[in-house]
Amino acid sequence: MAGLGKFLVRRGLTFIPTLIGVTFIVFIIAYVIPANPVRAWAGGEKATQSAVELIKAEYHLNQPWYDQYLFLIKGLFTNSLLDPLNQVPVFTNIGNRFIVTFQLALFAFFFVVLIGLPLGIISALKRNSITDMVLRILALIFISTPIYVMAYLFIWVFFIHWNLTTLAGIPPAPHHQITHIPVIDSIITLNWGNFAEQVRRFWLPGFTLGIAAAGVLMRFTRNSFLEAYSRDSTLFLKAKGVPKGRLYRHVLKNALVPVITILALQFGGLLAGTPITETIFNLPGIGLYALQSVMYLDFPALIGVTFLYAIVFVTANLVADILYALVDPRVRF
Amino acid sequence: MGDGTKEPKESYEEREEYEMSILDRISDKLIDGLAVFINLFKKDWRRRNQSKIQEWKLMAYALNRSPPALLGLVIVVVYIFFGIVGPYLASWPYDFFPVMYNSTSKLAPPGTNVFLNVTMVKNWHVIHYTTTVHYSIGSDLFGRDLLSVLLAGARTALVLDVFIIMIGPTFGIMLGLIAGYHGGAVDETIMRITDMFLAFPGLILAIALSAVLPGRIQNFLNYHAFAQTLVLKLFALQPRDVNNLGKLLAVFVALIIVWWPGYTRITRGSTLTERENLYVEAARAIGLPSRTIMFKHILPNIIGPILVMITMDFGGVILTEAGLSFLGLGAVPPIPDWGNLINQGAQYFPQAWWLVAFPGIVIVTVVLGWNLLGDGLRDILDPRTRRSMEFKVKKKGAAGGESNA
Repeated sequence: MAGLGKFLVRRGLTFIPTLIGVTFIVFIIAYVIPANPVRAWAGGEKATQSAVELIKAEYHLNQPWYDQYLFLIKGLFTNSLLDPLNQVPVFTNIGNRFIVTFQLALFAFFFVVLIGLPLGIISALKRNSITDMVLRILALIFISTPIYVMAYLFIWVFFIHWNLTTLAGIPPAPHHQITHIPVIDSIITLNWGNFAEQVRRFWLPGFTLGIAAAGVLMRFTRNSFLEAYSRDSTLFLKAKGVPKGRLYRHVLKNALVPVITILALQFGGLLAGTPITETIFNLPGIGLYALQSVMYLDFPALIGVTFLYAIVFVTANLVADILYALVDPRVRF
Repeated sequence: MGDGTKEPKESYEEREEYEMSILDRISDKLIDGLAVFINLFKKDWRRRNQSKIQEWKLMAYALNRSPPALLGLVIVVVYIFFGIVGPYLASWPYDFFPVMYNSTSKLAPPGTNVFLNVTMVKNWHVIHYTTTVHYSIGSDLFGRDLLSVLLAGARTALVLDVFIIMIGPTFGIMLGLIAGYHGGAVDETIMRITDMFLAFPGLILAIALSAVLPGRIQNFLNYHAFAQTLVLKLFALQPRDVNNLGKLLAVFVALIIVWWPGYTRITRGSTLTERENLYVEAARAIGLPSRTIMFKHILPNIIGPILVMITMDFGGVILTEAGLSFLGLGAVPPIPDWGNLINQGAQYFPQAWWLVAFPGIVIVTVVLGWNLLGDGLRDILDPRTRRSMEFKVKKKGAAGGESNA
């Protein structure tokens, strides 16, 4: 396992320049802000010049760029960057909303695995048959359909016609908070009433968000399975006369190794893909917060959210890399 | 090929026999035509690249034998056709708002006719006329005929699509080649910068950028009249929409910034393995400049998977662009845009279902087309699967076997 330790250190070291780079890009985004938001924050056209100057000074907007950069980075890391709309630190605002986004991604991930894995395996087992063709076309349709079209189709079917979900508000979290993710807490504390409420509110957005990723996973699983099937080891097992069921179990084991690592990447992708879903289903998560901050020219919030997304995404990539190194020693080189 | 033996100089070549369908003959004609066309500009190109032309023909045969890829190709061709001529086919101009003359034209359901009593100022003259608008698939918030807006929106989608793919991936591929070929400090610098951009989820970076860029771009356009006219011509827009271009182009710039790093990473990876080959070393030994080796020797050998990725990304750009304008970030009315139509329909869903359904169907079809074509290309460009397809194509008992080509 010496190789693994070395790999982790090296992988961790490349993490640092990326993080610094991320702060630079975030800063550039903040720097090209048009000049008028200050007036908007101060209260629109009627704002006095002194109020505008005060806000400019507060956000260091009248300082040279390196000072602005340091102010921004300090603000991001110490959570002292205030959201000009409600004067609350940006990451405090984000904290509560991130729970909603995380729960949404969790539901989506559940559907990704539930749909993508079995259908991908079936498609590979029945390769080049009618079933396979239908499943492959289905996967392609999942991938090609924009989330906003899929969402309205589902809302029409499941909300307007069958009324199987709710679209307003979010259910309260259970009393005992352990992980702070409501749906997990309600399972741990055996609070089934709350669990049902959470599921009723979140299953449709999760399903919608997950369906495209499920299509990707179906294709990936199928290819991975066929790749594992065409290896020499499979030929050997066949020659040895191993029955089909056991043969497939061996192949499946080999095929699922890359699939597990892609799942970590997909979870990062699901977390990042929430803005459209949250807008349509009216969920107060960080994606919606980002969009609202765009609408209200609330750039500190936008920068905070963008930074958080980058951190989450980079971490997901890191986890995927580590998982891959754990299951496949060859990549540690 | 086949019966069309007009070039006597080709006849010394060993001929392979194929079962030809009508599609094969058409594709042969097209490729021969292309070769003649290139021959006009590059002397002797056709004679010297006979094997290349042959290979292209074989690729076309493989394509002709894959129905999904053909379907994708047809969809893509139709999309490009409507992207070019769509604005001129539209029966109503995109900036004519019937709702100003008759309020019942707002969100008119499919199949309705609305009578308009129009009073408008044109060339400093007040003109009156009456007309009837037939909404075959409904109207939008401004009473515009949905079909006309969809047709006009094809131009917006195509121009954004083509230019984003032309600029973003090209830039990414170039950087990837340089990083992979030179290695060392150059590689490290380029890849660290690429990693920074890859750290952001595409949609989020695009949202952030298209939120902050419009002001700057609008300023730039207001000071550069030529750029302004060029953009208006490209998108087939009227001069009065010039103040809406900032938001549209912000999406354009944002998506270019989002779209290059993936290509850099992929190109660098395949360049790293490709440059170890003997032919690269030989090219270096005879003193060819690195530029030539990179772009003329290495690039053609690694371009296959990248082409597949580009094809699929044509669909990806449409999805993302429409997603951004669905969120209200990209094109704003009156600029015709598919995503924006869905945004309008979403506010009145499910009453105005046609505003979600028809643009939705259009987007799904186009994206599906690109994806099908990309899937087909993957099989065709991969020499192993292509050879296996060619075996099926060959006539039984043909002389020569699968020797060259």
